[in-house]
Amino acid sequence: MTRLTGGLIDRATTLNFRFNGRDYTGHPGDTLASALMAQGVRLMGRSFKYHRPRGVLTAGSEEPNALVELGRGARREPNTRATVTELFEGLEANSQNHVGPLSFDLMAVNDLAAPFFAAGFYYKTFMWPRAFWEKLYEPAIRRAAGLGRLSGLPDPDAYDKGFLHCDLLVIGGGAAGLAAAVTAARSGAQVILADEDFRLGGRLLAESDMLDDAPATAWVAALEAEFASLPNLRILRRTTVFGTFDHGIFGAVERVADHLPQPGDKPRQTLWRITARRSLLAAGATERHIPFRNNDRPGILLAGAMRAYANRWAASAAGRVAIFTNNDDGHRTALDLAAKGVDIAAVIDSRPEARAQGSYPLLAGAVVSDSRGRLSLTRIAVTRNGQTTWIETGALGVSGGWNPNVHLASHHRGRPVWDEGRLAFFPGTPLPPGMAVIGAAAGQGSTAAALASGAQGAQQALAELGISAALPRLPAAEDRHTPPAPLWHVPGKGRAWVDFQNDVTVKDIALAHQENMRPVEHLKRWTTLGMATDQGKTANVTALAVMAELTGATIPETGTTIFRPPYSGVSLGVLGGGDTGPDFRPRRLTPTHPWAEAQGAVFVEVGQWMRAQYFPRAGETTWRETVDREVRATRAGVGLCDVTTLGKVEVQGRDAGAFLDRLYANPMASLKVGMVRYGLMLREDGHAFDDGTCARLADDHYIVTTTTAQAGPVFRHMEFARQCLWPDLDVQIVSTTDAWAQISVAGPNARRLLERVVDGFDLSNDAFPFMACAALTVCGGLRARLFRISFSGELAYEIAVPARYGAALMARLIEQGADLGATPYGTEALGVMRIEKGHPAGNELNGQTTAQMLGMGRMVSARKDAIGTVLSRREGLTTEPRVLVGLQPVDVTAPVTAGSHLFAEGAEQRTETDLGWISSACHSPHVGSAIGLGFLADGAARIGQIVVAANPLQGQQVRLRVVSPHFIDPEGERLRD
Amino acid sequence: MTDLIPHTALGGTTPRQLRLRDLTMTERPDLALAWLARRQGAPLPAPFGLELPGPGGWHQGGDHAAFWTGPDQWMIEGPGRASEDFALAVAKAAPGASVSDQTDAWVAVDITATSGVAGIEALLPRLVNLDPRRLAPGSATRTGFEHLSVFIIRRAADHLTVLGMRSAAGSLWHGLERAARVQLALSA
Repeated sequence: MTRLTGGLIDRATTLNFRFNGRDYTGHPGDTLASALMAQGVRLMGRSFKYHRPRGVLTAGSEEPNALVELGRGARREPNTRATVTELFEGLEANSQNHVGPLSFDLMAVNDLAAPFFAAGFYYKTFMWPRAFWEKLYEPAIRRAAGLGRLSGLPDPDAYDKGFLHCDLLVIGGGAAGLAAAVTAARSGAQVILADEDFRLGGRLLAESDMLDDAPATAWVAALEAEFASLPNLRILRRTTVFGTFDHGIFGAVERVADHLPQPGDKPRQTLWRITARRSLLAAGATERHIPFRNNDRPGILLAGAMRAYANRWAASAAGRVAIFTNNDDGHRTALDLAAKGVDIAAVIDSRPEARAQGSYPLLAGAVVSDSRGRLSLTRIAVTRNGQTTWIETGALGVSGGWNPNVHLASHHRGRPVWDEGRLAFFPGTPLPPGMAVIGAAAGQGSTAAALASGAQGAQQALAELGISAALPRLPAAEDRHTPPAPLWHVPGKGRAWVDFQNDVTVKDIALAHQENMRPVEHLKRWTTLGMATDQGKTANVTALAVMAELTGATIPETGTTIFRPPYSGVSLGVLGGGDTGPDFRPRRLTPTHPWAEAQGAVFVEVGQWMRAQYFPRAGETTWRETVDREVRATRAGVGLCDVTTLGKVEVQGRDAGAFLDRLYANPMASLKVGMVRYGLMLREDGHAFDDGTCARLADDHYIVTTTTAQAGPVFRHMEFARQCLWPDLDVQIVSTTDAWAQISVAGPNARRLLERVVDGFDLSNDAFPFMACAALTVCGGLRARLFRISFSGELAYEIAVPARYGAALMARLIEQGADLGATPYGTEALGVMRIEKGHPAGNELNGQTTAQMLGMGRMVSARKDAIGTVLSRREGLTTEPRVLVGLQPVDVTAPVTAGSHLFAEGAEQRTETDLGWISSACHSPHVGSAIGLGFLADGAARIGQIVVAANPLQGQQVRLRVVSPHFIDPEGERLRD
Repeated sequence: MTDLIPHTALGGTTPRQLRLRDLTMTERPDLALAWLARRQGAPLPAPFGLELPGPGGWHQGGDHAAFWTGPDQWMIEGPGRASEDFALAVAKAAPGASVSDQTDAWVAVDITATSGVAGIEALLPRLVNLDPRRLAPGSATRTGFEHLSVFIIRRAADHLTVLGMRSAAGSLWHGLERAARVQLALSA
């Protein structure tokens, strides 16, 4: 056991957990990594490419090695970093990326074949035969290079989202972030402090240094007590700010229930979009390692992490450890571990002038050059002055200096700037607007400097907002400066790992250099360096330095490293926001929905709308049977259909008529009050945009209807025209689509039925002819609007009442029309009847057709201008030969399939001989066969001729007779009756 | 008076209400709404003596209220007047203006908190991307909620109304209830 004394864990409580099927214990405050380390577990996973044994490298979110599958069943989550997984009772984790037991991975054979797996291996090897890639190579490679397994089951967790606003966002709750937060919060400003850890303090928790002669945790605790009394400060613990977006917006994920044995009614995570007027990046720094031969064994970790495990979690990777460093920070680890009773085998310092800072063996001017230990470190080779000796040690801490965490500062492409004196990249300009960087992220790495930069940063940021903040009294703190010596790797034979997660070695970088993949972007893609889930947090700068050494260029000349969101992995579930299935997007229900549901209607999605598709009755075995019945009943008696989904726009104002004249291709200003006119709108380019009706209720009051699909786009178009094209016109528009329930009453008995519900309104043909409209009352005083328009070709009306009465009116009409054959019909029957009548719908108004093609060329008025009129007359459109026709199979049992293309009989079927296409098709009970509408070249001249409909997808060749698109009542007598 | 029985936007014959500890959500089918637009060159209308608010504003005067919906456009509110022809009443009260019935174009949901401002401001971040400091009592803004376009009105420190398109009432309610339940689960 290597549990030490002290630490920030609650030893009074024991937590049980499982790793790879074995039971372990830990304490609240532990991470999975610290609890395993404290129980002597060093082997935690296998590497990505070579399946090398790997243990924990870091103590934070930068971890490249200790990736595990967490949870089980549907909650199993791969690639979870053990170093940031908060321990809880019952936690279950399994190592990933191995075949067979972790200690004897069968895929480790890859390591023996390592010479073949050099950089660019896949690019060079799997080039041909080309067809093998998708079927053979890629699946095999993916299996070998596993990054854990997905459960494949639906995610059982709930996710949450929200929006926060603040004056100042402080990212990171270490020394700098805490000093900034307290400075800002005391001023009364709205402040958010976000930290990815479950405990505030950042690096303060990992160090043994005192603040004002007391443990740092005492200072943090006092601050937390004060924070609780500041309502203007919101602290987001377990929250990773993962991206800096435009306009001061940050993305952050709060892990709400990931650390709980059972989430209960809590969401698993919350996605916060934080709008901050100013932000302070206090993300700290990440220690870098020094590559040497076999530097990836379990037991070799970063020296700062080793210190964090000892001080915060009272855990040591071994009872005897060594340190390899190029700076004073490594000595700090030796001192802290020695103070905890850990035996220090040696401190190996590359600097010849290094001095011991305590009683431990120091090897100055030496480097670690190799290691041994099959599944865990047993000894290291130390080379000094050309002499190599082996030292027995169970663990090695490596310290190569610190890299400021510049990630969030570079999300707007701000390039980090190299500082040759301090051998590190610092946030470069321009920073994202409103952002400043404080603490170790800005190179202010000592505790005293971090505290001061935090307080000053907050004061400055708030001053920019006109908020005055006083600097707080800050505790006395350590102020060491530990610049590293330039040692980027230990040259020598064998493989020295730079990027642990993607298994990239110094040799790979050398090979990339040799193969001229020298620019940093090429290096990255050729070797996959920095492309793993850790984005190379512990690798990128070292790799640049190695490449610089090989090219003889400076590091800034070699390139820089830039980061994209997310800072660390974000689950797609939380980005999705949680709603799935029927709640995935808004659903719109028609006013008669509850009534239709009670009738057993089958519904169909039409955009966001759920519309009744058809109303099956007992004994009907196919949908066709139902639809045929609904069509026949409508044409023989009266049918009722909810048509509320068609867009309705009220147009008012003195210039309403002039406005509509400019919008519609045909005239509308001349429409008489009390009448309706069919209208066609064109796009600016002359193609048909949408059709509908326009009713005039008063001189200055029209109601425009649109198709269901184009209700939104037409309203937007009208609003654009009103505000931007003709602001001089006195026009006001408002959508009333949802306000009115509208029911189509169609069929020869329509008038008789309506006469039973209107309040003394004269519906006779003389008083209320075809295309009349009126405001009236129905059913005892209910305000309503009546339009005599027909989509089915029958005598038909549309009646509108306030939406809340829609279901009741539908029920009343069915009840009152029982003896008239009143039958509800759905969108299928609606479609059949409009095809029989030859009315264009969405299939015909598909954005590629013109008024002329639709047979409405003469509607485009020559006596006035309107949007699209001029361009509809351009040559390419006026010479277009395809026009709308009806199509009927010669063999009445043959199908008509929409989407089929039309060819002359006997012609070779090529693009050049294509005569057109079938836009709509259905079975027509009236005709007694399938019928279709289509666009056919020289269609009018081909009436009566035979064409062939080719449907290569289904191997269909069907002979069709070209007919008028009006299969029913071509003279329009029924609707005028 | 018609004998037809109306349905609320949520499909019931009585308004839906949900009490979740501190929070109460109530469907408001009684709320009459009329769109009022000023015509070019016309004086500012003052229906029922209401002082029509500027951008982002909601103003109550007597039994009526109004909120700004666009340049020279407002929604006039008549609580308890949904069963009458409210648009006609507004048209008479604002002669020369453009008016349209919007009562059934919307579903209105009141959200109140017994804990007052704290309860509402704890919930707001889960509803809309608006700074609670800016959405002060007397504010009304059109914004997005769960892929829906809504108006949110802060009638009082402890009282919100959310207006969404009537046809999507179920989706709106689902989103509001979910946000409220999450908020309460996390504040427990």
